[in-house]
Amino acid sequence: MQGEPNQLKYTDIHEDVVRSIVETGPNYYVALATAFALTLICFFFPWFYQLYYGIGAAGMNHPNVWGTYLASFIFWIGLSHSGTLLSCVLHITNSSWRKAMYRSAEAMTLFSLVVAAMMVMVHVGRPWFIHWTLPYPNQMEMWPNFRSPLLFDVMAITTYITGSTVFIYMGSIPDFAAVRDRTRGWRNTMYSLLSLGWRGTDTEWHRLHWAYTFLAVLIIPLAVSVHSIVSWDFAMSIVPALHQTIFAPYFVVGAIYSGTAGIVTVMFVLRKFMDFGEYITELHFDNLGKLLLVLSLLWSYINIVEVFTGFYSGASGETEALRYRLFGFYAPLYWEMITFCAFLPLLCAFKRFRTSFVPMLYLSIAINIGMYTERFLIVATSLSRQYLPDAWGLYVPSAVEISILVGTLALFTTLFLLFVKIFPSVSMYEVKETMNTPKKIPVAASGGSLA
Amino acid sequence: MSFLDRITEGWRKNRKPGYYENFDYHWAMTIDLDQCSGCGACVTACQAENNLPIVGEDAFVKGREVKWLRLEHYWEGEYPDVKLNVIPMMCQHCDSAPCETVCPVSATYHNQDGLNTQIYNRCIGTRSCAVYCPYEVRYFNYNDHEWDSPLDQQLNPDVSVREKGVMEKCTFCIQRIRQAKDNAKDDGRRRVRDGEVQPACVQTCPSKAMVFGDRNDPKSKVSRSLRDPRAYKVLDELNTNSSVVYLKKVEAER
Amino acid sequence: MTHFVVGLFGDPESALSAAGSIQSADLGTPELMSPVPIEGVEEVLGEKRSVIKRFSLFGAIFGGVSGFLLAAITAVLYAHPVGGRPIITFPPYLIITYELTILFGIIFTVIGFFVSARLPNGLWTSFWKQDENRPYVPEAAVDKFAVSIGCGVDDVQRAETILRIAGAEAIRDGTEGAS
Repeated sequence: MQGEPNQLKYTDIHEDVVRSIVETGPNYYVALATAFALTLICFFFPWFYQLYYGIGAAGMNHPNVWGTYLASFIFWIGLSHSGTLLSCVLHITNSSWRKAMYRSAEAMTLFSLVVAAMMVMVHVGRPWFIHWTLPYPNQMEMWPNFRSPLLFDVMAITTYITGSTVFIYMGSIPDFAAVRDRTRGWRNTMYSLLSLGWRGTDTEWHRLHWAYTFLAVLIIPLAVSVHSIVSWDFAMSIVPALHQTIFAPYFVVGAIYSGTAGIVTVMFVLRKFMDFGEYITELHFDNLGKLLLVLSLLWSYINIVEVFTGFYSGASGETEALRYRLFGFYAPLYWEMITFCAFLPLLCAFKRFRTSFVPMLYLSIAINIGMYTERFLIVATSLSRQYLPDAWGLYVPSAVEISILVGTLALFTTLFLLFVKIFPSVSMYEVKETMNTPKKIPVAASGGSLA
Repeated sequence: MSFLDRITEGWRKNRKPGYYENFDYHWAMTIDLDQCSGCGACVTACQAENNLPIVGEDAFVKGREVKWLRLEHYWEGEYPDVKLNVIPMMCQHCDSAPCETVCPVSATYHNQDGLNTQIYNRCIGTRSCAVYCPYEVRYFNYNDHEWDSPLDQQLNPDVSVREKGVMEKCTFCIQRIRQAKDNAKDDGRRRVRDGEVQPACVQTCPSKAMVFGDRNDPKSKVSRSLRDPRAYKVLDELNTNSSVVYLKKVEAER
Repeated sequence: MTHFVVGLFGDPESALSAAGSIQSADLGTPELMSPVPIEGVEEVLGEKRSVIKRFSLFGAIFGGVSGFLLAAITAVLYAHPVGGRPIITFPPYLIITYELTILFGIIFTVIGFFVSARLPNGLWTSFWKQDENRPYVPEAAVDKFAVSIGCGVDDVQRAETILRIAGAEAIRDGTEGAS
């Protein structure tokens, strides 16, 4: 057992987690109500207005037909990338530090994906026909176009949502069972249903271990493919500055990067407001900080490559798009992104920075702002400068778009707040695994000799 | 016919590379920039023929005007020694169209006449075709449009009015092509005669700069025009194999 | 009728050794119930094999084949000339194949898990009320390690003795239902 030395007992964990579900303070309700109200006001109402009026409610125009909705879509897909992916990698490599945080990280994946799917609905012009992208036999005898990068997206994201849901659910079955007996009323009914009658027998544990490992093995290549495919929405076009082979690794690295930063944020919040300080420790922030440092270096490298290949190509379209990105209308945003995502994370080189919670929180938020900017710039700058100079344009988001952007954050928060009261947000059985197992107590000795 | 037979037949019919090249007709257009005066009559004709919305001042300022055929203006030199180059730009009906591959629901595809078609009813409005199009000739309906009276009385009944959320673009006046093909069939002819069908822009062009016809017919006017040494395609290096060919403006050295 | 004798232990080692002694006393294979997976179960109770991997493999192959066929057959049935591409376009269809391989791999892994772990079981259908053949120990979800053995009436006494010798903190009759 490689767990950190602590004095916790199995029952303590059990109590803590059950308490986090059952005992709900007024602050929680205030937070939930605020988040839900914000979701309604900032997300759903503007969206309904947009459904009524048309996409014209957003700021998009002729050359810039894609805007913040698509940027948000990529951002949320990217944010989803660390949860399940990281959890799978750490599960396979048997890293024990994953165990206290992976449940909430996976929930982050799931809810990011839900929000991303919502963004697709917001983005398309006629969302009431979105089901046409799914391959199902119909009376029109029409099938979707399987050659389209967008259809790859549909397939990949459907698979990813399915996979993440299954993965988080499978890992939670033993915990549902553990919570089941400690709750009453509707909660008891719900956990009884969710736990499927789990009893914790040796056979069940064995099957769970193998099924879980197979899922992890299947989900790792899936997660990598999902963001590659999202990048191909862009890279398969012939738009200068989008038509690049580096895009797939660029997006995957960017996704894991922003996802890891997202985990840091969520860990901080959980630690602060759910009293999980004993399970989410400096060790986690230290490790995540190292990961952030590595990813930021990778990300910077790919950015340098992107700029260099654009410059070296010498093609007029490429160089103009590059010049516009670096020094054009959107240049302040570009340099903001470089500062937030390439320079600030270098602070993670210091252990003192990595293990202090509040600076890490600020850093993680800065990184995600930078990463959102990156996605926005990819969409906005490239579309503003395409081949025909007559069709050059400029795009500024409208109030509806900004409101929906805020609303997605509120939507995500609402979902997450519901999650912490339904799912045991720290994986009990795996935290128990990392601890010292109870030792045989000599008959003569009294309790308290567990350590 | 059983399901399996349908599969085998479809496979037999279409497996050869180039099944998409043997079109019944292959409509093409040439635009002689030497003759083009940049008057904009084609733009107006297109607007009238195809029920293009009049978007209004606000939408125009936002850059949302819908012009299936637009005149691109390129200025050269400094005042007073300035020169204006005008080039009409519309859907190039590429044979290897980037916009077609990206549509997830096959709302845009190549029909048997070699035209790049847009099916408004099928479109879900992802707008990716507009991004993939290097000519920027696809226009999106950002909202429903209204025609003030009496303009609503002069809408072309042969062309559908597009609703919000769908993409639209130049169709080479497909309603006229269809009409000409129907007429040819009624007359007992197998094919449409050269010059029998003209899109609105070609019909209107006062300087006869635009020529439209069937590229498959080597004797047609457009085929002769295509063999002109001045012929070039816009953004030919992108290998879109466009069907609109421009004839270069030739100027004396100054 | 089978009687179930359940012994509760405070630590995994005693539970394991109790399970071992029960097996060596020819009382059948006991079931261990624990809040965490116990290491070394397979050394005591024999190697476990599951069919999950076959399910995963079958699902992945099925998904891959059906994914490619879905793309190819629909393209052939309703031929759309698109962007000058051939009717069956391999590179994009391989991506569809890839995604569906994983999708069905996942779905079948889950099915395999349910089948091989025999979930959902009687406990689920009756909202965790006692299933006659599945003794259930609520404490085993918290911090106790339980050994359960189903045996005839004659052997109940023997089983209880073995469990007690191994150091069981409590012994209970699993047949009557959880307390």
